[in-house]
Amino acid sequence: MIEYSLIPLENHLVVNLYGDLDIDSTEVIEEELLPFVSNYKKVHFKFEEVPFVDSSGMGLLLNLVQTLSEKGIKVKILGIREEIMEVFELLQLPEILGDGIFV
Amino acid sequence: MVQSIITKGKDIIAAITAGLDLLETTKEQVNIEVIQHEVRGFLGIGARKAVVKLTKVNNTTTSSTFDDLMNDLNVEDIFKAESLEGTPNPSLQKGLNETNELTGKVWVRDGKIFCKSSPDYYPTVSLSSGVTLYKNSKLVNEKTVIISELDFYEIKVEDSEQKTTWKLSMDERQLKVHLYINPGYKITRTVPDMDPAHHLELYTIEEKQVQNTIDYLEVMQKLERLRVSQGIKQTVILEALAVSEEGTFEIASGKEPSEGKNGWVESKIDLNIKEGLKEREDGSVDFREIKTIPKVERGQVIAILHPPIPGEIGQTVTNIPIPPKTTNPVIIKTDHGTALVEDKIVAMESGRPYIEKRGKLVRIKIVKRLTHPGNVDLISGNLDFIGDIDIQGEVESNMSVTAEGDIFVQKIITNASITSLGAIISYGNIFGSELSAGKNNMLVTELGHLVGIIHNEVDKIVTVIKQLEQSPAFKSSDFSRGGIQPLIRILLERKFKNFPPKVKKYIDAVRTGEKFLADDIWRLVGVSLSQIFLSVNNEVTSIERILELSKKMKEIHLLSQTAIEPDSYITIPSALNSRLYCSGNILILGKSCVNSKVHAGGMLKINGILRGGEVYGRLGVEINEAGAESGTATIIAVPNDQKIRLKKVMEGTSIKIGNVKYTFSETRTNVCAHLDEYDRIVFNSKESRML
Repeated sequence: MIEYSLIPLENHLVVNLYGDLDIDSTEVIEEELLPFVSNYKKVHFKFEEVPFVDSSGMGLLLNLVQTLSEKGIKVKILGIREEIMEVFELLQLPEILGDGIFV
Repeated sequence: MVQSIITKGKDIIAAITAGLDLLETTKEQVNIEVIQHEVRGFLGIGARKAVVKLTKVNNTTTSSTFDDLMNDLNVEDIFKAESLEGTPNPSLQKGLNETNELTGKVWVRDGKIFCKSSPDYYPTVSLSSGVTLYKNSKLVNEKTVIISELDFYEIKVEDSEQKTTWKLSMDERQLKVHLYINPGYKITRTVPDMDPAHHLELYTIEEKQVQNTIDYLEVMQKLERLRVSQGIKQTVILEALAVSEEGTFEIASGKEPSEGKNGWVESKIDLNIKEGLKEREDGSVDFREIKTIPKVERGQVIAILHPPIPGEIGQTVTNIPIPPKTTNPVIIKTDHGTALVEDKIVAMESGRPYIEKRGKLVRIKIVKRLTHPGNVDLISGNLDFIGDIDIQGEVESNMSVTAEGDIFVQKIITNASITSLGAIISYGNIFGSELSAGKNNMLVTELGHLVGIIHNEVDKIVTVIKQLEQSPAFKSSDFSRGGIQPLIRILLERKFKNFPPKVKKYIDAVRTGEKFLADDIWRLVGVSLSQIFLSVNNEVTSIERILELSKKMKEIHLLSQTAIEPDSYITIPSALNSRLYCSGNILILGKSCVNSKVHAGGMLKINGILRGGEVYGRLGVEINEAGAESGTATIIAVPNDQKIRLKKVMEGTSIKIGNVKYTFSETRTNVCAHLDEYDRIVFNSKESRML
């Protein structure tokens, strides 16, 4: 289950994520976070406090980034833990989402 | 001075007389010693005169000196006298010689050196390898030594000894124990007695004595340590113990499991159908030759099903049983018109029995026969029959004939389409038509190939999923709730983005060929693939389901690679502007094959001329004459491990072996082309005898 905190800055929004990005996060991501962040031009997701992901969680992330990108919102994902990045790379998420998303 | 002379005469009297004359004395004053009696030879050969020695007893009467006497002696007498004087007294002679001969010499007796010094000559010895010499207890390093009587010598030779070595070895399968033995020996060296000489070479004589010291008990203990308890050959061990030369002995052997036999179907009816048209000895073909077709009546036993015979269990030398290879029963499928009663396959209706084998799969059916008396035309309509079709007329334009068995056409086929699961035999020529035989087999080959690729990919997907599950940051908790569908979707997004098109291709191929596929498994695999990988719904899928599908795909992939028998075939006289496809052999026995496309899953053989078009034989191509003078493109292709044999090939004809292409720049005869190990086309004229 994921939780988040929002830090609106001058020209972008920082979203700090806490907890596991998993199947239980569906509602939080799709119904709360997605509509909210859509009002910004730039959004940075911070993953320092995300220790685990599951396949549904990754599906949510893909969906989130792709939806925002379609709306012309610039998305960056920062501070991913090494072991989470390993999982992402195994599934080639960086290639799916395109260059410049994962920083 | 003793006055004595030796004289000769023709007999003793004459000799004595002559002697007395010389001495100027009488008989009374001499001692007469007869040295040799006269010998009368045969015809004078071997005759010898008598020889006497006269010694004057009384000196007083001597009036002349010995010198005077000598002067009076004739030459022969002097010679004789001298030689007699030289005749040595043997005993005296020896004594004299010994002192003379030993001087300055060295000899060996009983391994010791003896010598006799001489003021002007020192004897020498040289030492060969294995001999060491001590002079006054000091080792002599020189190769050659002067020997003196004043020194004390000692010869030393070294004896050598080799211990018996042996080794036990057991093969990996524990079926054999070998004893390697190299018996030990002792070599005793001695310096032999040597006769006196100025120089001696001291050498040794070797005496080799084999000492096989291997111990029976030790061997048995070692066997015990290896846990060998079965099949020990005591006699061989004893033989090895007594051996005097290096050798290896098999001292224990286990029992190989005997091969069993897979189940089989024994046909009770001669199923051999003559393969269509046969050539006569003079090369011509009789198209009236009607082939004999086997037939069964209702209730008749077609075949007997034999269960597999299991092999016998073997045993290792360590008393572990070795199971024989598992034997498989045949999987029998009684199709149309047949039934399995106990171990017998019985015909339920009359017709042509047909037994098809693919690996352990055996399919048996009764093929019905439809005889169509006239032409296939607009009046008769298209023909589609579940058995054999025998068309006694022509097949006319735009008509189609489809059969699950064989198709026989007595006359020509023009602009028509003929499809059979069995063979196609036409006695008339083919014009602008499409012939397809063994469509099901071709489909199976094609689908099998696709399944092979898909199976490979699915295995890769499974590997990645397993890898993910090992990742510390990955939770598989949602698998139980949402299945692995979300994960598969991510995987197909990028990592396996080429996978869905392959599945689609397979599903399409199954759908098109559905009616030719006797086995439902191809379709079922397609459905599963579609559900797991293509569908958009959120049906819960588990990795187990994927594994199960993977297993099924592997099975049908292997099945598709197993040869089928009997395979279908096409036999026709000639073809023009046509397309021929066959999973098995294609034989074009007549004059020509012109501007046609030919694909044979087996061997392609054209007895006449190939002019224009593309032909392919998966198991090789044999053509009498290929190419066209007009230069119409003629391409002959085979896979990379097959050969193309052409009795005559025209300039401009292309051949393709695997991916390597070659175009003939001149007309050639007796060509046999294949690829060498560097993937180059080579021509082997020796092998081009053909047809």
